[in-house]
Amino acid sequence: MSTVLIGIVFISLTVFIYLFMTRLYHRFYIPFLIPALTSTVAVVFLLIIMEVSYDTYMIGGQWIDALLGPAIVALAYPLYNQRHLLLKNLYPILGGVVVGSLTGIFSGLLLAQSLGFNEKLLFSLLPKSVTTPVAMQIADGVGGLPALSVLFVMTAGFTGVVVGPYILYWFRLDSPLAKGMAFGSASHAIGTAKAIEYGDYTTSVSSVAMTLSAIACSVFGSLVVLVFYA
Amino acid sequence: MKVITIVLQIGFLYVFYITGSLLQRLFHLPIPGSIIGLFLLFIVLLLKVFPATWIETGSAFLLDYLSLLFVPATTGVMNYFDLFAGHTIWLFIITMISTLIVMIFSGHTSRLLARYREKRREGTECQQSLSESSL
Repeated sequence: MSTVLIGIVFISLTVFIYLFMTRLYHRFYIPFLIPALTSTVAVVFLLIIMEVSYDTYMIGGQWIDALLGPAIVALAYPLYNQRHLLLKNLYPILGGVVVGSLTGIFSGLLLAQSLGFNEKLLFSLLPKSVTTPVAMQIADGVGGLPALSVLFVMTAGFTGVVVGPYILYWFRLDSPLAKGMAFGSASHAIGTAKAIEYGDYTTSVSSVAMTLSAIACSVFGSLVVLVFYA
Repeated sequence: MKVITIVLQIGFLYVFYITGSLLQRLFHLPIPGSIIGLFLLFIVLLLKVFPATWIETGSAFLLDYLSLLFVPATTGVMNYFDLFAGHTIWLFIITMISTLIVMIFSGHTSRLLARYREKRREGTECQQSLSESSL
Protein backbone atom coordinates (compact mmCIF):
# COMPACT_ATOMS: atom_id res chain seq x y z
CA MET A 1 0.00 0.00 0.00
CA SER A 2 1.38 3.40 -0.89
CA THR A 3 2.35 5.85 1.83
CA VAL A 4 -0.26 8.38 0.72
CA LEU A 5 -3.03 5.81 0.97
CA ILE A 6 -1.86 4.67 4.41
CA GLY A 7 -1.81 8.32 5.45
CA ILE A 8 -5.34 8.96 4.22
CA VAL A 9 -6.65 5.79 5.89
CA PHE A 10 -5.27 6.73 9.32
CA ILE A 11 -6.32 10.38 9.07
CA SER A 12 -9.88 9.35 8.17
CA LEU A 13 -9.90 6.68 10.87
CA THR A 14 -8.85 9.20 13.54
CA VAL A 15 -11.31 11.87 12.39
CA PHE A 16 -14.16 9.36 12.10
CA ILE A 17 -13.52 7.95 15.58
CA TYR A 18 -13.24 11.45 17.01
CA LEU A 19 -16.53 12.60 15.44
CA PHE A 20 -18.27 9.48 16.72
CA MET A 21 -16.84 9.93 20.24
CA THR A 22 -17.87 13.60 20.22
CA ARG A 23 -21.45 12.60 19.43
CA LEU A 24 -21.35 10.03 22.19
CA TYR A 25 -20.02 12.64 24.63
CA HIS A 26 -22.70 15.18 23.75
CA ARG A 27 -25.38 12.55 24.07
CA PHE A 28 -24.49 11.38 27.59
CA TYR A 29 -22.36 14.25 28.84
CA ILE A 30 -20.33 12.22 31.31
CA PRO A 31 -16.82 13.66 31.97
CA PHE A 32 -15.39 10.16 31.60
CA LEU A 33 -16.43 10.12 27.91
CA ILE A 34 -14.28 13.14 26.98
CA PRO A 35 -13.47 12.67 23.23
CA ALA A 36 -9.69 13.14 23.55
CA LEU A 37 -9.57 10.19 25.96
CA THR A 38 -12.12 7.86 24.35
CA SER A 39 -10.69 8.50 20.85
CA THR A 40 -7.17 7.72 22.05
CA VAL A 41 -8.36 4.49 23.68
CA ALA A 42 -10.27 3.51 20.52
CA VAL A 43 -7.34 4.28 18.18
CA VAL A 44 -4.84 2.39 20.38
CA PHE A 45 -7.24 -0.54 20.62
CA LEU A 46 -7.72 -0.70 16.83
CA LEU A 47 -4.00 -0.39 16.10
CA ILE A 48 -3.19 -3.23 18.49
CA ILE A 49 -5.93 -5.46 17.01
CA MET A 50 -4.78 -4.71 13.45
CA GLU A 51 -1.13 -5.13 14.52
CA VAL A 52 -0.18 -1.70 13.18
CA SER A 53 2.83 0.03 14.75
CA TYR A 54 2.67 3.59 16.08
CA ASP A 55 5.18 4.69 13.43
CA THR A 56 2.92 3.41 10.64
CA TYR A 57 -0.09 5.13 12.21
CA MET A 58 1.85 8.40 12.40
CA ILE A 59 2.28 8.45 8.59
CA GLY A 60 -1.28 9.76 8.71
CA GLY A 61 -1.30 10.95 12.32
CA GLN A 62 1.50 13.47 11.79
CA TRP A 63 -0.80 15.57 9.58
CA ILE A 64 -3.27 16.01 12.42
CA ASP A 65 -0.40 16.48 14.87
CA ALA A 66 1.01 19.26 12.63
CA LEU A 67 -2.09 21.37 13.33
CA LEU A 68 -1.49 21.30 17.09
CA GLY A 69 1.18 24.05 16.86
CA PRO A 70 -1.02 26.61 15.04
CA ALA A 71 -3.96 25.60 17.29
CA ILE A 72 -1.98 26.60 20.39
CA VAL A 73 -1.12 29.88 18.60
CA ALA A 74 -4.86 30.32 17.91
CA LEU A 75 -5.49 30.53 21.68
CA ALA A 76 -4.25 34.12 21.32
CA TYR A 77 -7.64 34.94 19.80
CA PRO A 78 -9.86 34.22 22.84
CA LEU A 79 -7.07 35.74 24.93
CA TYR A 80 -7.27 38.96 22.93
CA ASN A 81 -11.07 39.03 23.12
CA GLN A 82 -10.95 38.67 26.91
CA ARG A 83 -7.96 40.94 27.52
CA HIS A 84 -9.84 43.46 29.70
CA LEU A 85 -11.29 40.82 31.99
CA LEU A 86 -7.89 39.10 32.24
CA LEU A 87 -6.07 42.31 33.08
CA LYS A 88 -8.67 43.06 35.76
CA ASN A 89 -7.87 39.69 37.33
CA LEU A 90 -4.11 39.82 36.88
CA TYR A 91 -3.16 39.26 40.53
CA PRO A 92 -5.65 36.45 41.21
CA ILE A 93 -4.35 34.72 38.07
CA LEU A 94 -0.67 35.19 38.95
CA GLY A 95 -1.32 34.06 42.54
CA GLY A 96 -3.14 30.94 41.36
CA VAL A 97 -0.34 30.08 38.93
CA VAL A 98 2.40 30.41 41.56
CA VAL A 99 0.50 28.41 44.21
CA GLY A 100 -0.62 25.86 41.62
CA SER A 101 2.80 25.15 40.18
CA LEU A 102 4.45 24.95 43.62
CA THR A 103 1.81 22.56 45.01
CA GLY A 104 2.13 20.52 41.81
CA ILE A 105 5.89 20.21 42.08
CA PHE A 106 6.03 19.53 45.83
CA SER A 107 3.04 17.20 46.14
CA GLY A 108 4.40 15.05 43.31
CA LEU A 109 7.97 14.97 44.63
CA LEU A 110 7.01 14.35 48.26
CA LEU A 111 4.48 11.60 47.52
CA ALA A 112 6.88 9.80 45.19
CA GLN A 113 9.79 10.22 47.58
CA SER A 114 7.77 8.76 50.45
CA LEU A 115 7.27 5.64 48.31
CA GLY A 116 11.03 5.42 47.76
CA PHE A 117 11.35 6.22 44.06
CA ASN A 118 14.78 7.20 42.78
CA GLU A 119 15.67 10.74 41.67
CA LYS A 120 15.46 9.99 37.96
CA LEU A 121 11.80 9.01 38.34
CA LEU A 122 11.09 11.87 40.79
CA PHE A 123 12.40 14.41 38.33
CA SER A 124 10.39 12.87 35.49
CA LEU A 125 7.30 13.49 37.60
CA LEU A 126 8.17 17.13 38.26
CA PRO A 127 6.81 18.79 35.06
CA LYS A 128 3.57 16.75 34.84
CA SER A 129 1.25 19.77 35.01
CA VAL A 130 2.63 21.57 31.95
CA THR A 131 2.15 21.10 28.24
CA THR A 132 4.11 18.25 26.60
CA PRO A 133 6.93 20.08 24.74
CA VAL A 134 7.75 22.19 27.82
CA ALA A 135 7.52 19.16 30.10
CA MET A 136 10.03 17.25 27.96
CA GLN A 137 12.46 20.12 28.06
CA ILE A 138 12.10 20.57 31.82
CA ALA A 139 12.54 16.83 32.42
CA ASP A 140 15.63 16.82 30.26
CA GLY A 141 17.00 19.87 32.07
CA VAL A 142 16.59 18.52 35.62
CA GLY A 143 17.74 14.98 34.80
CA GLY A 144 14.47 13.07 34.40
CA LEU A 145 13.28 10.86 31.54
CA PRO A 146 11.40 12.99 28.93
CA ALA A 147 9.48 10.00 27.49
CA LEU A 148 8.18 9.09 30.95
CA SER A 149 7.26 12.74 31.61
CA VAL A 150 5.04 12.69 28.52
CA LEU A 151 3.03 9.85 30.07
CA PHE A 152 2.65 11.79 33.34
CA VAL A 153 1.61 14.88 31.38
CA MET A 154 -1.10 12.85 29.64
CA THR A 155 -2.22 11.35 32.94
CA ALA A 156 -2.44 14.82 34.50
CA GLY A 157 -4.38 16.09 31.49
CA PHE A 158 -6.94 13.31 31.50
CA THR A 159 -7.31 13.27 35.30
CA GLY A 160 -8.10 16.98 35.18
CA VAL A 161 -10.77 16.71 32.51
CA VAL A 162 -12.33 13.46 33.76
CA VAL A 163 -12.28 13.88 37.57
CA GLY A 164 -11.85 17.68 37.50
CA PRO A 165 -15.52 18.57 36.90
CA TYR A 166 -16.49 16.67 40.09
CA ILE A 167 -13.68 18.34 42.06
CA LEU A 168 -14.85 21.76 40.84
CA TYR A 169 -18.34 20.94 42.04
CA TRP A 170 -17.37 19.47 45.42
CA PHE A 171 -14.96 22.28 46.24
CA ARG A 172 -17.34 24.99 45.03
CA LEU A 173 -15.02 26.28 42.34
CA ASP A 174 -17.89 27.65 40.30
CA SER A 175 -16.65 30.97 38.89
CA PRO A 176 -15.20 31.04 35.34
CA LEU A 177 -11.96 32.38 36.87
CA ALA A 178 -11.54 29.50 39.32
CA LYS A 179 -12.51 26.88 36.73
CA GLY A 180 -10.12 28.25 34.12
CA MET A 181 -7.31 28.39 36.67
CA ALA A 182 -7.94 24.81 37.79
CA PHE A 183 -7.98 23.40 34.26
CA GLY A 184 -5.08 25.42 32.90
CA SER A 185 -2.65 25.05 35.78
CA ALA A 186 -3.32 21.36 36.49
CA SER A 187 -4.14 19.96 33.05
CA HIS A 188 -2.41 22.29 30.54
CA ALA A 189 -3.70 22.16 26.95
CA ILE A 190 -5.99 19.13 27.43
CA GLY A 191 -7.62 21.03 30.30
CA THR A 192 -7.88 24.13 28.12
CA ALA A 193 -9.64 22.10 25.41
CA LYS A 194 -12.14 21.07 28.10
CA ALA A 195 -12.45 24.67 29.33
CA ILE A 196 -13.82 25.63 25.88
CA GLU A 197 -17.07 23.94 27.00
CA TYR A 198 -17.43 26.53 29.76
CA GLY A 199 -17.18 29.57 27.46
CA ASP A 200 -14.74 32.15 26.21
CA TYR A 201 -13.64 33.62 29.53
CA THR A 202 -12.90 30.24 31.13
CA THR A 203 -10.97 29.27 27.99
CA SER A 204 -8.86 32.42 28.15
CA VAL A 205 -8.12 32.09 31.85
CA SER A 206 -7.18 28.47 31.23
CA SER A 207 -4.83 29.28 28.36
CA VAL A 208 -3.22 32.08 30.37
CA ALA A 209 -2.84 29.72 33.35
CA MET A 210 -1.39 27.03 31.09
CA THR A 211 1.12 29.41 29.53
CA LEU A 212 2.20 31.00 32.80
CA SER A 213 2.38 27.59 34.52
CA ALA A 214 4.76 26.40 31.81
CA ILE A 215 7.05 29.33 32.57
CA ALA A 216 6.61 29.03 36.36
CA CYS A 217 7.30 25.29 36.31
CA SER A 218 10.50 25.65 34.30
CA VAL A 219 11.75 28.26 36.78
CA PHE A 220 10.51 26.68 40.05
CA GLY A 221 11.28 23.15 38.87
CA SER A 222 14.95 23.84 38.26
CA LEU A 223 15.16 25.86 41.49
CA VAL A 224 13.60 23.12 43.62
CA VAL A 225 15.96 20.52 42.17
CA LEU A 226 18.91 22.82 42.71
CA VAL A 227 17.99 23.67 46.32
CA PHE A 228 16.71 20.31 47.60
CA TYR A 229 18.44 17.67 45.51
CA ALA A 230 21.81 19.06 44.44
CA MET B 1 -15.67 30.12 0.38
CA LYS B 2 -15.52 29.46 4.14
CA VAL B 3 -13.12 26.57 3.53
CA ILE B 4 -10.70 28.88 1.69
CA THR B 5 -10.89 31.42 4.52
CA ILE B 6 -10.18 28.71 7.09
CA VAL B 7 -7.21 27.30 5.13
CA LEU B 8 -5.70 30.75 4.54
CA GLN B 9 -6.12 31.76 8.17
CA ILE B 10 -4.59 28.51 9.44
CA GLY B 11 -1.68 29.21 7.09
CA PHE B 12 -1.38 32.61 8.70
CA LEU B 13 -1.40 31.07 12.19
CA TYR B 14 1.26 28.66 10.95
CA VAL B 15 3.53 31.61 10.14
CA PHE B 16 3.36 32.63 13.82
CA TYR B 17 4.04 29.07 14.91
CA ILE B 18 7.10 28.78 12.63
CA THR B 19 8.38 32.19 13.75
CA GLY B 20 7.96 31.11 17.38
CA SER B 21 9.82 27.85 16.75
CA LEU B 22 12.65 29.71 15.00
CA LEU B 23 12.98 32.15 17.91
CA GLN B 24 12.99 29.25 20.35
CA ARG B 25 15.83 27.51 18.51
CA LEU B 26 17.74 30.72 17.89
CA PHE B 27 17.78 31.81 21.55
CA HIS B 28 17.57 28.31 23.12
CA LEU B 29 14.44 29.34 25.04
CA PRO B 30 12.90 26.84 27.49
CA ILE B 31 9.40 27.67 26.17
CA PRO B 32 8.08 25.79 23.09
CA GLY B 33 7.62 27.52 19.73
CA SER B 34 3.82 27.26 19.83
CA ILE B 35 3.61 29.24 23.08
CA ILE B 36 6.05 31.87 21.78
CA GLY B 37 3.85 32.07 18.66
CA LEU B 38 0.81 32.57 20.93
CA PHE B 39 2.59 35.50 22.62
CA LEU B 40 3.63 36.99 19.27
CA LEU B 41 0.10 36.83 17.85
CA PHE B 42 -1.34 38.28 21.06
CA ILE B 43 1.09 41.22 20.95
CA VAL B 44 0.46 41.80 17.24
CA LEU B 45 -3.31 41.82 17.92
CA LEU B 46 -2.86 44.26 20.82
CA LEU B 47 -0.79 46.57 18.60
CA LYS B 48 -3.61 46.34 16.03
CA VAL B 49 -1.18 45.50 13.21
CA PHE B 50 -4.13 43.74 11.54
CA PRO B 51 -7.74 43.23 12.64
CA ALA B 52 -8.62 40.14 14.69
CA THR B 53 -11.00 39.08 11.90
CA TRP B 54 -7.93 37.97 9.89
CA ILE B 55 -7.52 35.00 12.18
CA GLU B 56 -11.01 34.71 13.67
CA THR B 57 -12.47 31.96 11.47
CA GLY B 58 -9.31 29.84 11.33
CA SER B 59 -8.78 30.11 15.11
CA ALA B 60 -12.38 29.20 15.88
CA PHE B 61 -12.08 26.18 13.59
CA LEU B 62 -8.84 24.90 15.15
CA LEU B 63 -10.08 25.47 18.71
CA ASP B 64 -13.32 23.62 17.89
CA TYR B 65 -11.24 20.55 17.06
CA LEU B 66 -8.47 21.05 19.62
CA SER B 67 -9.21 17.74 21.33
CA LEU B 68 -8.89 15.85 18.04
CA LEU B 69 -5.44 17.33 17.46
CA PHE B 70 -4.12 15.66 20.64
CA VAL B 71 -5.12 12.17 19.59
CA PRO B 72 -2.07 11.23 17.44
CA ALA B 73 0.32 12.42 20.17
CA THR B 74 -1.51 10.68 23.03
CA THR B 75 -1.78 7.47 20.98
CA GLY B 76 2.01 7.27 21.43
CA VAL B 77 1.24 5.78 24.85
CA MET B 78 0.96 2.38 23.09
CA ASN B 79 4.76 2.24 22.90
CA TYR B 80 5.07 2.47 26.69
CA PHE B 81 2.53 0.00 28.03
CA ASP B 82 5.21 -1.90 29.95
CA LEU B 83 5.71 1.18 32.15
CA PHE B 84 2.22 0.77 33.55
CA ALA B 85 3.19 -2.54 35.10
CA GLY B 86 4.75 -3.08 38.50
CA HIS B 87 5.88 -0.45 40.97
CA THR B 88 5.81 2.42 38.42
CA ILE B 89 2.00 2.37 38.43
CA TRP B 90 2.21 4.28 41.74
CA LEU B 91 3.75 7.24 39.94
CA PHE B 92 0.62 7.46 37.81
CA ILE B 93 -1.61 7.33 40.87
CA ILE B 94 0.54 10.06 42.46
CA THR B 95 0.16 12.12 39.28
CA MET B 96 -3.63 11.85 39.54
CA ILE B 97 -3.70 12.85 43.22
CA SER B 98 -1.25 15.70 42.67
CA THR B 99 -3.26 16.98 39.68
CA LEU B 100 -6.42 17.24 41.77
CA ILE B 101 -4.49 18.99 44.56
CA VAL B 102 -3.23 21.53 42.00
CA MET B 103 -6.78 22.14 40.73
CA ILE B 104 -8.11 22.79 44.23
CA PHE B 105 -5.20 25.00 45.30
CA SER B 106 -4.85 27.14 42.18
CA GLY B 107 -8.62 27.51 41.79
CA HIS B 108 -9.13 28.54 45.41
CA THR B 109 -6.12 30.84 45.48
CA SER B 110 -7.39 32.88 42.54
CA ARG B 111 -10.94 32.79 43.90
CA LEU B 112 -9.80 34.11 47.29
CA LEU B 113 -7.56 36.78 45.74
CA ALA B 114 -10.39 37.95 43.47
CA ARG B 115 -12.77 38.09 46.43
CA TYR B 116 -10.20 39.93 48.58
CA ARG B 117 -9.77 42.54 45.85
CA GLU B 118 -13.52 42.99 45.49
CA LYS B 119 -13.89 43.44 49.25
CA ARG B 120 -11.12 46.00 49.32
CA ARG B 121 -12.73 47.85 46.45
CA GLU B 122 -16.08 47.83 48.26
CA GLY B 123 -14.25 49.01 51.36
CA THR B 124 -12.78 52.05 49.66
CA GLU B 125 -16.15 52.83 48.12
CA CYS B 126 -17.70 52.64 51.59
CA GLN B 127 -15.10 54.94 53.05
CA GLN B 128 -15.63 57.35 50.21
CA SER B 129 -19.37 57.42 50.73
CA LEU B 130 -18.82 57.79 54.49
CA SER B 131 -16.49 60.72 54.08
CA GLU B 132 -18.88 62.21 51.57
CA SER B 133 -21.81 61.84 53.95
CA SER B 134 -19.82 63.34 56.83
CA LEU B 135 -19.21 66.37 54.69
